[in-house]
Amino acid sequence: MSAWHVSGPMAERYASGSAAEPEAWSLEKHIESCGPCAVRVSTAVQRSPAGLVIAEIRATVLAGRTPAAAPVRWTARMMWAAGPAVRGAWLLSLAAVIGGALFLAYGVGFEGARPLLLALSPAVPLAGVALSYGRYSDPMHEITAATPYGGLRLLLIRTAAVLAVSVPLLAVASALLPDPAGPPGAAAWLLPGLALTLAALALGSYTGCRIAATVLACAWVMAVLAPLAGPPALAAEAARLVSGPDAQAGWAAAAVVCAGLLAVRRSSFDHLESV
Amino acid sequence: MTTAENAPEAVRVTGLTVRHRRTVALDAVDLDFGTGVHGLLGPNGAGKTSLIRVLATVAPASGGRVELLGHDASAHRDRPLIRRRLGYLPQEFGYYPGFTVREFVSYMAWLKEMPAPSVADAVESAVDRVGLMDRIDAKVKTLSGGMVRRVGIAQAIVNEPELLLLDEPTAGLDPEQRVEFRALLRDVGRTSTVIVSTHLVEDVAAACEQVTLIESGRVAYRGTTAELTRLGEASPDEGASPIERGYTAALRSHRGTTTGRDQRTRSSWGTGAQR
Repeated sequence: MSAWHVSGPMAERYASGSAAEPEAWSLEKHIESCGPCAVRVSTAVQRSPAGLVIAEIRATVLAGRTPAAAPVRWTARMMWAAGPAVRGAWLLSLAAVIGGALFLAYGVGFEGARPLLLALSPAVPLAGVALSYGRYSDPMHEITAATPYGGLRLLLIRTAAVLAVSVPLLAVASALLPDPAGPPGAAAWLLPGLALTLAALALGSYTGCRIAATVLACAWVMAVLAPLAGPPALAAEAARLVSGPDAQAGWAAAAVVCAGLLAVRRSSFDHLESV
Repeated sequence: MTTAENAPEAVRVTGLTVRHRRTVALDAVDLDFGTGVHGLLGPNGAGKTSLIRVLATVAPASGGRVELLGHDASAHRDRPLIRRRLGYLPQEFGYYPGFTVREFVSYMAWLKEMPAPSVADAVESAVDRVGLMDRIDAKVKTLSGGMVRRVGIAQAIVNEPELLLLDEPTAGLDPEQRVEFRALLRDVGRTSTVIVSTHLVEDVAAACEQVTLIESGRVAYRGTTAELTRLGEASPDEGASPIERGYTAALRSHRGTTTGRDQRTRSSWGTGAQR
């Protein structure tokens, strides 16, 4: 008993199933009492094709479903919540507006770059709102509309995302631009921007956000560009619309009124067939 | 589960009217649906999609009362309560280009306000049920039309809805997938109310216990699948299978009772529409 041991080739033959029957029997009998040989045979079997398959199955069974079902990362949730505007073309157009203003100021030396950017800034979140919610802007609108988040709640989340992206970028950009001295200040557009965004949501409860935002953006741009007489006039025009405590108070009041109207109209977003 | 105690019927519709501008899509329809799989049959343009969209709380009713899962669907406050327990697959739906199957279904689970810890497992189980486990991390845009439809089914069932609404769910599925899908429907229908709109009579024969036939915005026939089949056996018609003949017979008898004038032209369309 002690003289006979399982050789390496014999273990291989046994593992691959090619060992003759008497040999296999002696081996099985022997490894019941001989530890080193049992280990040798076990190693050979584990290395065989069948052993590999069994190891794989064992790993799968032991792992269960847990490793694959990784919890959703919060960054992914942020991206989802941002909605279609921040994921898509709107972000590019925001970059284009800022890049264009910086280029005009430093590349070409155009003095009116900052008033121009200030004049355009309130329209940027409006475009984001237009592209955030509704049948024409959101490819997933039909299925998201049937969820508890559907309606005003989702629209507000996405509007917040649009503002969270555009406000800091535009603020930094206008601070970077050379100051042509005098009003308006770099932050003067913030209240008008907020008021126009809320107005787009409030008007959007009747017409859908796309139409509302387009109408308001056009109205804003026309109001600013109406004189169409070059940079100094543009600066003056922008100043007239946004500068000074009176103008700012007016915009703040408008924002409050629109927010109130939106609250009253909240249920109308639950099914907007026109959006 | 709670609805089973309070109100046995998940859907109660009385006098439901839906108008799209001047056309009447649904004309004072009274319907109720309880636990089980219900087939919604009818020619194209009969009002099936209009009914499904109202039941999905996506479209408003022009008139009448809609009670879903024990709540009034027109009440703004109750709508999230309904929508949390709802699954909806529209005829067509979009997705964001970057989404993988897992992200798409997780996003929908998030919008349905599922508790965060259960989302990962629920997503995997839903994707597994539609047989897409091997493609769970593939981009949705790389999938075939039939697979995208199955992703749509997965998002509809991810929250284990008590009311599942499917609009033409078998469009784009090959015969084998259809067979599997019907088995899934029967499975879900054991505990939930499932309403399947289709113009394929064979879908109804294979998966549904109850049939509702809609024609020109009115309920033309209601009964069990077996009853509709018997109706077909009694009718000496040219339809391929008894249930198809039953469909045609029920449709014709409805048309005979409502309008006699344009019966001939419409029934020639009617027999074609079921194919």
